[in-house]
Amino acid sequence: MIRYIIRRLLMTLPTLFLVGVSVFALIRLIPGDPAQLMLGDSVDPGELVEVRRQMGLDQPIHIQFFEWASKVLQGDLGVSLSDGQAVLPLLVERFQVSGVVVLIAVMAALMIAVPAGLFAAHKQNRAADISIVALSTVLLSIPSFWLGLILLLTFGLALGWLPVVGYVPLSTSFLIGMSFLVLPIATLAVIEAGVLTRMMRASAIEVQRLEYVTHARAKGASEWRVLTRHILPNAFAPTLTLVGLILGNLLGGIAVLETVFTLPGLGRLLVDAIFARDYPVVQGCLLFTALIYVLVNLLVDLCYPLLDPRVTAE
Amino acid sequence: MQTLRHIASTVGILLLCCLGAAMLATSASAAEPTQLRARLLSDIRSTDPGVNRDGTTDSVVMHIVEGLVALAEDTSIVPMLAASYDIAKDGVTYTFRLRRGIHFHNGALLTAGDVAWALKRYFDPATKWRCLPEVDGRGQAKVVAVEAPNAETVVIRLERPAPLFLTMLSRPDCGGTGIIHRSSVGADGSWKAPIGTGPYKLGEWKRGQYLELKRFDKYQARSEPASGYAGGKKAEVDTIRFLVVPDSASAKAALLGGSVDILPDVNESELADIQSKSNIKVDISTTPGISGILFNTRDPVMRDVRIRRAIALAIDGKELVSGTTNDLAKLNNSAMPSISPFYTEVQRTGFVPNIAEAKRLLKEAGYNGRPIKILANKRYGTMYDTALIAQGLAAYAGIRLEVEVLDWATQLDRYTRGNYQMMAFAYTSRLDPSLVYDMLVGPKAIQTQKVWDNPEAQALVAESMRETDKVKRQRIFDELHRRMLQDVPLIVYWNGIQITAYHKRVVGFRQWPMEHPRYWLVRMKP
Repeated sequence: MIRYIIRRLLMTLPTLFLVGVSVFALIRLIPGDPAQLMLGDSVDPGELVEVRRQMGLDQPIHIQFFEWASKVLQGDLGVSLSDGQAVLPLLVERFQVSGVVVLIAVMAALMIAVPAGLFAAHKQNRAADISIVALSTVLLSIPSFWLGLILLLTFGLALGWLPVVGYVPLSTSFLIGMSFLVLPIATLAVIEAGVLTRMMRASAIEVQRLEYVTHARAKGASEWRVLTRHILPNAFAPTLTLVGLILGNLLGGIAVLETVFTLPGLGRLLVDAIFARDYPVVQGCLLFTALIYVLVNLLVDLCYPLLDPRVTAE
Repeated sequence: MQTLRHIASTVGILLLCCLGAAMLATSASAAEPTQLRARLLSDIRSTDPGVNRDGTTDSVVMHIVEGLVALAEDTSIVPMLAASYDIAKDGVTYTFRLRRGIHFHNGALLTAGDVAWALKRYFDPATKWRCLPEVDGRGQAKVVAVEAPNAETVVIRLERPAPLFLTMLSRPDCGGTGIIHRSSVGADGSWKAPIGTGPYKLGEWKRGQYLELKRFDKYQARSEPASGYAGGKKAEVDTIRFLVVPDSASAKAALLGGSVDILPDVNESELADIQSKSNIKVDISTTPGISGILFNTRDPVMRDVRIRRAIALAIDGKELVSGTTNDLAKLNNSAMPSISPFYTEVQRTGFVPNIAEAKRLLKEAGYNGRPIKILANKRYGTMYDTALIAQGLAAYAGIRLEVEVLDWATQLDRYTRGNYQMMAFAYTSRLDPSLVYDMLVGPKAIQTQKVWDNPEAQALVAESMRETDKVKRQRIFDELHRRMLQDVPLIVYWNGIQITAYHKRVVGFRQWPMEHPRYWLVRMKP
């Protein structure tokens, strides 16, 4: 098991290297540079050259890359060209916000999706199943920013139950902090619940047709026991794969939601950095996201044997 | 069964948390009478005046620092930390006599030594001050000495006369050349935090979230009425909290819901909805910024003045301005801002729509209906709308405009490189008409971002910068306007519009021609 984990972690190194190289090159291929954006419409050629020099952008691109890469190997992702902040602490700080929202939202989505998907599969092609499928299709079709705005206008503006803008870290005050996170979490949970419900239902339908389920029923096991002991663990494995992918995607940034709810998360940081052509932050964000993606999926892979003894980590 | 119980209890705890949090948030959001909450579209870049900055940064920093002189509402330059100033007859020696009893935010008294230190720091290339090229000989002025002959007098000597030197010192993008205390920087010269003399001092800054300014109790206001960045200022609220709210729909919801008190940059499209709310007030003002369409006169098609003129005649400016700004702005075909004292009958003349003449010019120029690309972006909606409306109106004369939408950074890059045919664009405010023309006129071979490559116009702009006589300057600006209408290197359509919406409990807010909102003298109704 340990060897497997080490091997998988080592396999991430070429991935991260490729991500690093491509991100470094791609962000520089996009027209526009941070010096120009800083100077705006009053750009003077001499001034532009000077600001580019101050930002280190006057160096040949391969020199810039090796300087950046050597710092990355020492755990230094550089400093933001916009505000001079160190990138790594900035990423960690922003990830804490996105991470909390995403983890709670996906947990909540699972709590909805697993029973709903199982129930729909159990009542396949009946009114309950059709309703659940229809509802989940609607949910996964809703754009997150639209649902977010509707919830914001309803619970923040019309009812005044929750704050409309701002953020308080949970470490400062858990309850007040949660009041700022309830709506983004609810938005994300509702949408992801739609996706997961459909997957859970499809897997459960497939599993409940297998012979061992019929055998369990023939032995006289209660329907509840069949569902929870025999169908659920096997049907959950594909859903878990999807959870891994969802977590990987979402942890990399929920930029739209973070913008709507003014959350200082990783996604908003990345989008702002792209618009500002803040190269070190963009590179740092994407490297960080790739790492998170790999780690989450490794974790998911390691969870498989817990659900299905036929699967081994080796 | 146990699993279900776990799930049920977890959901229950979450719901309780949400409920409790909602109740707490409701009580927490009760308005504090001495806090003003203002929206920032994006976070500031730094607190170092005029160094790592953008427009948002300037608007915050100008609450913390003050310069020797400041910009008044009528764009005149008046003393601020200086009690008075003299410009010697030679035009190169500026003598400032400081006001007495001015304190820095750390309690230290302002002295001429502090001023000289702060100015020398700005003039040091290591500071990376944005306006350094304006004072080191590359631009209008070259400062050769900054002296403090006694505790209340500061002398600045220039190499040659520069009539716009004080204007430059007061520019918000130069941080108003705000005087800061030495303790604003560390022993190694690195920036720590601004210890200024303004009515507010820096409080907490949570990057990406908010920045708080606190009332400076020892602030000593000038006796004159407040005007622009000058005159008597007073911190009426205990704190100003600048909240970073990038999304305009969320910002609007925050204003209507009472989480934000003031929105200084409302989109034209949202104005009607906001104006319909009884608890919200709206201020609309014209700024010196100019919006319009740029032509690249080096482009094989657009280098023909007949085609540029045909486009100018084909587009009905009034219709374009009305459609783009929801009737908030008025047509102004001059680069001279309509609020400038130099804006006269001459500047009121512009392009009169004439489709027949446009068609004739196009025929004469041999235009064959080949598409012409006009660049725009959606970050600044008015630029996009300008391009779309221009496309529709130009079609009446048989001109095929193709709108290419880019992100702002890319469009700015194309502007800087002079890589476009046409572009919907907007320039930020400049304090003096010479600076407006200076931004437009120049040799494209060296300065690719310039739109008007005309040596005679360049000479006129240089002359306007040297000239101090108002009548003579007026003549120069009139001539520049006439020549610009002839050359058509760009079509100016309107001056900037600043829309600010604020809750009725906000009292004393007043819009002014510069884009940056000022929150001194603003108080909150209990």
